[in-house]
Amino acid sequence: MTKLLQWLFGVSLLVAGWALVSFDLLDLKLPQPYREVAWPMPLYLLVSFGCYSLATVGYRVATFNDCEEAAKELQEQIKEAREDLRKRGLKM
Amino acid sequence: MLPATRVDQAVGMSLVVFSLLLFTYYSVWVIVLPFVESDHVLHIYFLPREYSVILPGIAAVILLLCIGAFTAVIMWKHRKPKKVD
Repeated sequence: MTKLLQWLFGVSLLVAGWALVSFDLLDLKLPQPYREVAWPMPLYLLVSFGCYSLATVGYRVATFNDCEEAAKELQEQIKEAREDLRKRGLKM
Repeated sequence: MLPATRVDQAVGMSLVVFSLLLFTYYSVWVIVLPFVESDHVLHIYFLPREYSVILPGIAAVILLLCIGAFTAVIMWKHRKPKKVD
């Protein structure tokens, strides 16, 4: 079985479990609070994934070290490349 | 190598704090609130539960609009006029 089929199988199991609890397909008559929590679950997982991504980006921005020498070196290399291309006739 | 500049640190930390606050508020709203009696004082701080679905939907629509507008602006700037023979 390919990875895609495995993923689809797992996802459809989760969707079936969620639909079972949210829409009471088997008439299990679960207590109302549990149904109220289960229903927005897909949206909740999406929002928490978004929050996690935002937090990761923010954390990496805050902890990424400033590399002044590398920045200067890069600027000089850009200048050299521009000069070189201008000599060869490329219009910038 | 120096640590990140002050502005970078401030922006990064504010993103982290904002996402933590958003996650906590949304988690309490969706998961904790159904188990709390309706006359508890906690309910005052949270909107009705329908909004816990509508507000992320609106945010997603706004995000898509921003991406579309940005793409449209970029493509408009890069259009080349047709040559006249």
